[in-house]
Amino acid sequence: MRYGTYLVPAAIVLTLGSLACKPPKTAEQIKQETQAAFNEGYQAFKDGKARTTNPYLSDKENPHKLQGWYDGWDKAKADKDAADKAAADKAAADKAAADEAARKAAADEAARKAAAAEAEKAAAFKKAADAALKTIHFDFDKSDIKEGDRALLQGIADFMKAFPAAKVEIEGHCDERGTNEYNLALGNRRAAAALAYLKTLGVDEARFTTISYGKEKPLCTEAKEACWSQNRRGEFKLK
Amino acid sequence: MPRFLVRTFLFALAALALQAQQTEVVLSASSSAKLVLGMAPPKVSGIDEAQVATEFTAVLKRDLDETGVFAVLQEGLPAESAPAKAWKEAGAQWLLSVRLTRAAVGELQLEASALDTAAEKSVFTKPYKAERMVPLRRLAHALADDLVARLTGERGVASSRVVFIRQMAPGVKELFQIDRDGANLVQLTRHGSLTLSPSVAADGRLAYVTYKGGAPEIWGQRHRDGAHQKLYPASGSGGMITSPAWSPDGRRLAFVQGDRRGNSDIMVLDLETGRTRRLTDGNGINTEPSWNPNGTQIAFTSDREGGPQVFLMQDDGSNLRRLTGEGTYNASPAWSPNGAMIAYVSRFEGKFDLFIYKLGEGKAYQITTGVSTSESPAWSPDERRLVFTSNRFGSMQLFTTDLSGRQVVRMTDLPGCQSPKWTRGR
Repeated sequence: MRYGTYLVPAAIVLTLGSLACKPPKTAEQIKQETQAAFNEGYQAFKDGKARTTNPYLSDKENPHKLQGWYDGWDKAKADKDAADKAAADKAAADKAAADEAARKAAADEAARKAAAAEAEKAAAFKKAADAALKTIHFDFDKSDIKEGDRALLQGIADFMKAFPAAKVEIEGHCDERGTNEYNLALGNRRAAAALAYLKTLGVDEARFTTISYGKEKPLCTEAKEACWSQNRRGEFKLK
Repeated sequence: MPRFLVRTFLFALAALALQAQQTEVVLSASSSAKLVLGMAPPKVSGIDEAQVATEFTAVLKRDLDETGVFAVLQEGLPAESAPAKAWKEAGAQWLLSVRLTRAAVGELQLEASALDTAAEKSVFTKPYKAERMVPLRRLAHALADDLVARLTGERGVASSRVVFIRQMAPGVKELFQIDRDGANLVQLTRHGSLTLSPSVAADGRLAYVTYKGGAPEIWGQRHRDGAHQKLYPASGSGGMITSPAWSPDGRRLAFVQGDRRGNSDIMVLDLETGRTRRLTDGNGINTEPSWNPNGTQIAFTSDREGGPQVFLMQDDGSNLRRLTGEGTYNASPAWSPNGAMIAYVSRFEGKFDLFIYKLGEGKAYQITTGVSTSESPAWSPDERRLVFTSNRFGSMQLFTTDLSGRQVVRMTDLPGCQSPKWTRGR
């Protein structure tokens, strides 16, 4: 009994230890087992029973997956998937391109329309300005608005009211019969007379500037009344 | 002022000091008598004789003729060996002898002397030196001016210049300068726009109006020979601006500013402070200011009583009175350098003639006549002539006339000239 207290636990330890220390499989054994399993699976695949009988469907039951023996790759499916994906991608790209083109075309169209509208507006403005901003004329040494020019000034006033953003410079000019300096003052008076008349027609005078060119910018340079009467004028220029 | 002239001034001062004791003949500025000056052919060495004839002798003769105080006599009489008698018999009161030398290396030398043929003694001797490349015309001008100074006590104006406006293209006018004899045209501005109404201060500084910024502005020189810069308005647009006129002391600038009601007023700008003062009352057109020589009064054109007339006022706007009586359109007053006369233009049948109002007599005299117009009179610095514009040969050109209107001389052959101002300062 005295020795039994040591021997019995030792025997138990040895028995359990020998059971636990089962020698590992050799590489050859693994290869053989794997080949056998592959052959079994391949046969099942050929028999059309792979999905139900293949023991390697789950990773847990497929210790060889990492070795690349079988990665579950289905070529036909993969090809089909790839083709499907390519087709889908292309369709998506085509659609995006078409959308983009349509959007761009719409934007271009809008811009063109806006530009056309702008141009049309500018052209209308220009046309209205050209039609309205007519030159008025003055008598010799005078700055009174002539009876016949009142309709022209009314046209200018109407234009200014129709285009509230328009600003106009009124130029006063004289014929050559007078001194350079006195004619500059007379041109200023003529521009001021036109300004005063336009003000009575209800146009804000702040929308006009006045400038005198005296006799320094004649339209006609001959010394005769036909020429002088052209030069005694008030011109209206968009500013 | 050319450098050689400064040197000749110094010589002239010395020469005048020496001759101060022996003054025999002095003509007053108003006298119409002329001294007959015999001009012996110049003795020349080192210069082509034909060149001397055209660039010196002819220029000197024209200068002296236009002074109004000399009548030039050119005869082939000898200048050597007691010539006085022969020249005296030919009618000359003075005999001018000149020697012109250009050394192979070195300066151009002119020795001029004048002899009183009656008293047979020297009345004028002066040596001139100039750099080789100085044009002979400038020596001739200097000599003519000194001879006038010797005779009248005041230098002539042969060396002076005229500043004026010339049209370059429709709507483009620029400021030019030309020598008093019509040579040496120089363009003073290149604004590429309307440039008008020049005024020259006594020291040669310019002021004028330019439209280069759209609206008219006064530009000019704050300092002698300085860059051209904007003088008025300091900022923004000042409306219509014309007619700058330097005060005689060059510190103030009278000018005209128009408002949006059609009036234009005489203003005075103090260049140092930049302050302006309005002298007229916003009633009608007031323009063309012209200072009297001591800067206390201003002559100007106003239509306050109907048509344009010349008025006078103090430089603070007080003591307003009308000067011109006859005619319906009198304008462009120009106060004479000595203050006794006011030149102006008067319109008759669509064209202008020059008039001179003599303040002492209270009367006006007509200077020019004819079918062509004569405008923009400006005084010569010696008050003996007027420069003006006329279309008597077609386009507007510069002319000068003596105060009788008998001796009208064409100055330019450049179409489209206007607003001349005659100055010694440039």
